[in-house]
Amino acid sequence: MLLSESARVTTAHEAGFRVQYPNSKPRAVKVVALDAGSAKLVDDISKMAWNGAAFFKSLSFEDGALPGTSVKAWLNDLAGHTSDLSAEVASADCVVVLASAGQDVQSAAVISELCNLHHKTLVSLIVPHDGATEDEIDMSLRAMRPYAKMLVIAHGRDYIEAMLTALRA
Amino acid sequence: MLKKEQNELVTQTGPGTPMGELFRCYWQPILLSEELPENDCPPVRVKVLSERLVAFRDSEGKLGLIDEFCAHRGVSLWFGRNEECGLRCPYHGWKFDTTGQCIDVPSEPEESGYAKKIKLKSYPLIEKGGVLWTYMGPPERLPPEPAWEFANVPLENSFTSKRLQENNWLQAMEGGIDSSHVSFLHRGDLNNDPLFKGAAGNKYNLSDSKPVFEVVEAPGGLFIGARRNAEEGHYYWRITPWVMPSFTMVPPRGDHPIHGHFWVPIDDESCTAWSFDYHPVRALSDNERNAMKDGKGIHVKYVPGTYRPLANKDNDYLMNREAQKAGKTFSGVEGIGMQDASLQESMGPICDRTKENLVGTDNGIIMARHRLMRAAKALAEKGTLPPGLEIAHQTVRSAAVILPPDQPYKDAAKEALVAKPGVAQTSV
Repeated sequence: MLLSESARVTTAHEAGFRVQYPNSKPRAVKVVALDAGSAKLVDDISKMAWNGAAFFKSLSFEDGALPGTSVKAWLNDLAGHTSDLSAEVASADCVVVLASAGQDVQSAAVISELCNLHHKTLVSLIVPHDGATEDEIDMSLRAMRPYAKMLVIAHGRDYIEAMLTALRA
Repeated sequence: MLKKEQNELVTQTGPGTPMGELFRCYWQPILLSEELPENDCPPVRVKVLSERLVAFRDSEGKLGLIDEFCAHRGVSLWFGRNEECGLRCPYHGWKFDTTGQCIDVPSEPEESGYAKKIKLKSYPLIEKGGVLWTYMGPPERLPPEPAWEFANVPLENSFTSKRLQENNWLQAMEGGIDSSHVSFLHRGDLNNDPLFKGAAGNKYNLSDSKPVFEVVEAPGGLFIGARRNAEEGHYYWRITPWVMPSFTMVPPRGDHPIHGHFWVPIDDESCTAWSFDYHPVRALSDNERNAMKDGKGIHVKYVPGTYRPLANKDNDYLMNREAQKAGKTFSGVEGIGMQDASLQESMGPICDRTKENLVGTDNGIIMARHRLMRAAKALAEKGTLPPGLEIAHQTVRSAAVILPPDQPYKDAAKEALVAKPGVAQTSV
């Protein structure tokens, strides 16, 4: 019996003939801590080897409008440099924000607004600290839900690393 | 994306591998009861977790799952005679009971005790919910019997099928927790399949092809909530439980039976896709049962006399480009089960995850892999038993609910996600 094309091409042997050229370009993942607790995590994680991911430990705001946004904001990186939030979001492929459970996440609204403006995906990780209560986690979920395309409760630094690795950050 | 060594870790389930040892902590479904229908019926070959075994039901109804090959000259005991409380090798007459103990070596004097010194490896085999389950781990870690709701409702409330899937277990299982593909791959079936159509929630699936996700860790695995817009600012949530290592449930639609899957490795390049349908509080109707037997819903039609799907790689899955062009099916393959399987088999026997490009909305898959790797390492390095073994971890359900925007599904649908005898599923 002649094998069908599907039967012929789905063997382990045929898998060896798959094109070996890269199928994607490096992408820009911007990781932003929304509070002091997650800033420490970002600081730790940034020390690993990444494919160009940019890490920011905090945001600061300034009154005044940007086109399409209501607030002007700046990102502060780990070396103490500041950069314009809107420009960082515009040049990102994916924006990941980290928030400690129970902390104020109002700044996520600004990032979300810019992600919408620039058509970027916002991924939100809520990081429960040791002893975090369900109420604190729920509060963070409620606060982040309107903004994130993907909302994850991320127990442990190892998951954050795994997610960023999976995203080729 | 996974590194090569990570991909090997999660896809290899043979004896002695970290993921293989993880699988060997759980009861695994391996046969339908119908495959061993009566005492002294023909034995059945079984390959599971890369081990070749033979199953039989002896003259007293005891179930046995033992090494496939006779300890004498290595003949397959599939050729054996199942008679008088044992499986007798047809080559030289050696006979084995359901524990693998050799009970007769005809060429040796009975008084010599030779037979007592011969024993094939065996694993416990139990029957529950029309399914035969085995546990392949160390006896001292034998877990409680399977507590999954589908296996514990009255038999008239459930229908379970299995099919051969010709690729590694993980790429099949990942399809079970990837809710976003429904709006594409299965869109032609939501309004046509008798086991799906008519549910009020279908319109939200079809009108909103860009769901938003929330992933919440559960004691036994994960809950993956896919959120779509509903009326008046409310959200339509479809919540998929994943219990380690390979149990998934599809969120329900209307009063249709609930369904889900187990993905059990046969070896590293094939798996058995188990598909179950059940209703918690009523018997399945004749129409529902007949539709399932006819391969509707998540079930498939078979090559007669086998559990291989009728549409398979040897016939290009009966690809119908006209149906694809007309929008009757999105991929050209008929049937929800084979729509999934055909694409997953096309990835190759073991998907090369070093080449994939995941996006933020793939976090359910990312977290499931992460939990699997973490649990396999903890078991290998510290002997820590993995999640998913406790009864409470297994008594979960999928759910479909409409909620106000400020309510976390993990709280608002908390009760709906627990299987309770006599309580209907929560569905839209």
